[in-house]
Amino acid sequence: MNETVVLKRKDRIVKKPDFTEKKSYRPVNVKETGLSFIGHEISEDGNVMNQFFHYDQLYTIRHGWNSKFFKGLLEGKIWGTRCPKCGDTWVPVRTHCWNLDCNLEKTEWVEMPLNGKVHTWTVAGWSGRSSLKRLPIILVYAVIGKSKVAIANELHGIKPWDVEFEMSLKVVFKPEEDRIGAVTDFHFEPADGWEPSPIHQEKERIKELVEPVYKWVKTLK
Amino acid sequence: MLRKVCIVGGATTPFDYGPTGFESIEGGAAECVRETQRDIPEFSLRDIDLMIYSHFSVHFGHQLAAEWIIHDHLGLVGIPHYRVENGGNTGGSALYAAALAVMSGHHDVVGVVGWETMDSVSQSQGSEFIAMASDIRYELIVGGIYPIYYAAMANKWMKDNNVTEEDVASISAKNRNNAMDNPKAQWYRNEHKYITVEDVMNSRLISYPIKKYDCCLMSRGVAFVLVCSEEYAKKVNPDGYVTIDGMGLSSCTIRAGDRLNFPGWTERYGSGYPEMTEFGACRNAADQAYKMADIKNPLNEIDFGEIHDAFSTSEAQIYKALYLADENNIAQFLRDKTTHMYGEIPMNPGGGLMGYGHPVGATGLMSAIECFYQLSGMIPQKHLSKKTEVSDPECGIVNSHAGTGTSISNFIIRRV
Repeated sequence: MNETVVLKRKDRIVKKPDFTEKKSYRPVNVKETGLSFIGHEISEDGNVMNQFFHYDQLYTIRHGWNSKFFKGLLEGKIWGTRCPKCGDTWVPVRTHCWNLDCNLEKTEWVEMPLNGKVHTWTVAGWSGRSSLKRLPIILVYAVIGKSKVAIANELHGIKPWDVEFEMSLKVVFKPEEDRIGAVTDFHFEPADGWEPSPIHQEKERIKELVEPVYKWVKTLK
Repeated sequence: MLRKVCIVGGATTPFDYGPTGFESIEGGAAECVRETQRDIPEFSLRDIDLMIYSHFSVHFGHQLAAEWIIHDHLGLVGIPHYRVENGGNTGGSALYAAALAVMSGHHDVVGVVGWETMDSVSQSQGSEFIAMASDIRYELIVGGIYPIYYAAMANKWMKDNNVTEEDVASISAKNRNNAMDNPKAQWYRNEHKYITVEDVMNSRLISYPIKKYDCCLMSRGVAFVLVCSEEYAKKVNPDGYVTIDGMGLSSCTIRAGDRLNFPGWTERYGSGYPEMTEFGACRNAADQAYKMADIKNPLNEIDFGEIHDAFSTSEAQIYKALYLADENNIAQFLRDKTTHMYGEIPMNPGGGLMGYGHPVGATGLMSAIECFYQLSGMIPQKHLSKKTEVSDPECGIVNSHAGTGTSISNFIIRRV
């Protein structure tokens, strides 16, 4: 009898989300085998042993109150948040205001324009294992619309040596069927009508550094 | 009245990558304690009344609460222990915790053991593991590794401060060449060569303007530092102990792009600071440490430093955050080689992260140990020659640094 009462109270307090829209893009090599010892090696003199330990887990990132931003990416939209008290706006989003005088005021969602400006940039010739084949990558920190913060993402449609501080950008989304609800669903491109400045010493230097990267990437399997 | 905090000893294992270093973390910790006991024979493990463990990533360790293995191995059952984790500033934060414990009067003799085993995965996988300390939702997924974030910050900083690739390359060469005098340094044990600015300039692109030799090393290593009250210091190492006269710990945003207009910084340093280019947490931690140690003119009053050169560019940015130079003279400060061994304020005579190595949880402790060796006159016995001994130092700075400048600690350490 008591148990029934508790369950009823729980139902009223917490509404469990019903995940009706599901999509899986798990690569075939994720096996979720958990923890296992899968081999070892011993040195010729018999003094040293190494053991190979495999750890393969699937994590769930529960976006919770940030969900609207990531769901927005699937729809080709950039959502930001704004503090109703002080008006500061952010993308990446904050669900509570950063201004201590606003006492963690809950923020409201605002749709951001699909344009921005380069705050700073770099040309990567090396990266994590999962990104090596995409090198060289131009990474920019860009300010979208009136955001108070810069967001990191790739800049496409431009030679690595032609990037400039403060250059105007547009946000370009992948085709809808390729989106996964992550920030990689979009990238930046130079705003329409943007033209690179003439070649100069720094551009020559970046070219010199990047050319071996193009060659090296071609050798990757 | 807060109690004075002292360092009386410490040691590291050789830092390395792959199966050439110590083969177990607990064995490495034991060897560090043994070396400390050889330096200060009066020190007994029985004196320790608190152990603090400094370890960054369980991803590398593949063992939760690995400090329990070390603690048990050292025979310290019954002695309180806990672990401190704070990204790249884990070592500095553990030292901070140990100093607080002694300062409060609650503990007298605190052992700090730090370690990381980054060679348990491949280098590129390791880079990705470290980068999981960046916001995986927004940054890891697009940038992938820390050098890229640091490069983006440095690119703008260098433009704003008129600093060239060659200027920072001089730092890379300095630290690696210093490490050639240090038998425990990873650079000495592996690549083992003196390099020039040109070598740095010709090394492969990691992320413009950072090249391979502008980056620190990925390492396996263990370190041990003994922090204590002055009463105990006078008992075990009366002629060689040093005091932590100032310390500061500060924080900044996890995502570098979030610090363009952060209200907390605007309140402290005015609008436009730290931007994406300066290390606000380093400046703030320096303000605290300088105030506590009564340092008015750091360049004049500090003789040398062991600082967090994860990248040559960040070492240069740290000089500025520590008030050693400003936007008007930082480029000249670098060109004058002010921080080389023969300069006004040698930085990283021990080799730093680029020369000694960067086993994250051990790194800040390694910096503190090198600083202690310099101040207590132990360099001739710990390094290969006097080439990397600072001349008659009285005051050193130790800096430990995390994330994209997300947590930073500074310590002012003086000879007694």
